[in-house]
Amino acid sequence: MDDDDSISITCPEEEKHMEPENRISNKALTVWKISGLISCSITWIISIAVLVLTIIFDWTYWVIGALVLISTIQSYLAIFLIPSVKWKRWRYEVRNTEIDIQSGIFIIKRTLIPMIRVQHVETKQGPLLRKYDLASVEISTAATLHVIPALDLAEADELRHYISRMASVEEEDV
Amino acid sequence: MSDPKRLHPIAVLLNIIKSIKELVIPFLLVVVIPGKNEGIPGWIQPLVIAIIILLIIGNAFLQWLRFTYRIEEGEFRIESGVFVRKKRYIKFDRIHSIDISEGIIQRVFSLVKLNIETAGGSQADAVLSAIRKSDADRINAYISEEKNAYNPFDRDKDEVADNEIVAKSSSVFKQTLPQLFAMAATSGAVGVFLSGAVAFISQFDEMIPFQRIFKDYEDFIEMGTFILTLFALVALLAVYVLATLSMVIKYASFTVIKTDEEIVISRGLLEKRRLTIPIHKIQGIRIMENLIRKPLGLATVYIEYAGGSMEDKESLSIMLFPLIRKKHLQGKILEILPVYETDTKMKPIPKRALSRYVFRKFLYLIPIIGALVWFFRPWGYLSFLLVPLAIFWAYMQYRDAGWSIEGNLLLLSSRFFSKQTLIMQRSRIQSITYKKSWFQNRKELATITASIKSGITSRVGMVADMEEKDCLIIKSWYLPEKAVDSQ
Repeated sequence: MDDDDSISITCPEEEKHMEPENRISNKALTVWKISGLISCSITWIISIAVLVLTIIFDWTYWVIGALVLISTIQSYLAIFLIPSVKWKRWRYEVRNTEIDIQSGIFIIKRTLIPMIRVQHVETKQGPLLRKYDLASVEISTAATLHVIPALDLAEADELRHYISRMASVEEEDV
Repeated sequence: MSDPKRLHPIAVLLNIIKSIKELVIPFLLVVVIPGKNEGIPGWIQPLVIAIIILLIIGNAFLQWLRFTYRIEEGEFRIESGVFVRKKRYIKFDRIHSIDISEGIIQRVFSLVKLNIETAGGSQADAVLSAIRKSDADRINAYISEEKNAYNPFDRDKDEVADNEIVAKSSSVFKQTLPQLFAMAATSGAVGVFLSGAVAFISQFDEMIPFQRIFKDYEDFIEMGTFILTLFALVALLAVYVLATLSMVIKYASFTVIKTDEEIVISRGLLEKRRLTIPIHKIQGIRIMENLIRKPLGLATVYIEYAGGSMEDKESLSIMLFPLIRKKHLQGKILEILPVYETDTKMKPIPKRALSRYVFRKFLYLIPIIGALVWFFRPWGYLSFLLVPLAIFWAYMQYRDAGWSIEGNLLLLSSRFFSKQTLIMQRSRIQSITYKKSWFQNRKELATITASIKSGITSRVGMVADMEEKDCLIIKSWYLPEKAVDSQ
């Protein structure tokens, strides 16, 4: 019990700036921009519908002004700002004994999963990801689920194999 | 033990009750609402009711007739179903635990309900709703014997071992009746009662300007409000007393027994429940201290364990000690779960975190106060009273946040309303996450969360705004550089 205390202070400052080394695929940026575009188009359709109704029924104009403003801001955030910040933040590293994931937009989030806690790994491909030959990797522990989005298909498959091989080395009861 | 057996015929009654419970809402829709319609002959309604009742009874009887269970080839086999035949075979080594409980109906006929719990969650559970107690004991004994006997030649030895376990097991925790009343009276029911009382008293105050406007009715309104308030308070008190009593009945004769590999918790006055928890399935323990209990030095302790099922909500959150004095906690825990240490000094979070706790409260508070002031002009200003309250709340949350590492244990404590301390073994933590916003980064603070498995989902311990370098200490404790796992 006592020697544990000595281990706990071994990790000094340089660790703080060490980010996980792998980035996700460049194409993820495109995929996120497209899905941002899709979600924005819904807002725009509503805005245009309200605009038409406003003209027909002679409603007050500030409502449509507000809607257009909201749609514009949303478009900028969802299509330009958020995907690029998100992509810059996203990093992961799979080591022999642990998986290290960094994500977040305004809040940087760092997750550590020991390899022996991994229960299973899956790769998943939605229609958009398939078009760009990408896949996401889902890592499940007994209690949590972690997703690495948008890796190149080959890389995702390799990662899945690697993790499942490393994870199955040590079987343990939950 | 291999010939198929039926449940006790009283299971028919249980089936009827179960389907009536499920049918209450559609029944009301079909029978009560058209009852007001005109044009339908008067005899239709009783006929429909009679047919439905007959169908329910017939179905219950057929279900009983078709339900058989047997033990065969190391498996517990159940066949059931009226129109769709279902066969469910459960291997002995897949069985987590066997729970025996008694509802009111079972107790009248001195029967028990046997619940065979497996790892697979809700669907894999097998429930024998009414069997004789001797049968239940025989099944229990048979299965645990089979489970232990990997080798047929070892059977004699195992029997000896079994006897030893029985001899060793001792009652280690009992909740006395006064303690139980204290527990029920200081539970969440109090909060409901107090907030209700406050709401009604404030209602009473607001009536005062109302009275001035209608001077003619002054006496009447005064009387009316007074009686109304009194009535409401009495009703609330009654609800509170009922809630307390029902909790006392539910947790009456609460006993924890420990054997070598299991913890057995039994409780209940009308409906007896016995829960068997394998110790190796326990993921952590959680100490809760609510607003009333904490100043009194009292706490409730829960077990987080990997098991339980969706259908049985109570199996997901298991009380180990409904109410215990904090100073006695360590001793009792040592008797039952010696790996857990509860008496450690928590490392507090830094002073500069306090402003973040207050800031986070104001994030919600400012829009609320703004809206109240805007829409309810004269009275809305009262909402500024929320400011000191929020600051006090933030201070309490700041003060009760802390962490500690004790050998192989990680302790994280935080408060929402109640103070929660989650104690986790390193080898049970599924993942650790720490995150920091831009503001936190500037102050070198970070928020840490650690997840363990609990029931069918997870339980998360969290400390907001702790020292960033402490996060790194926890991280390197969790994943030591050299060893995979020091177990």
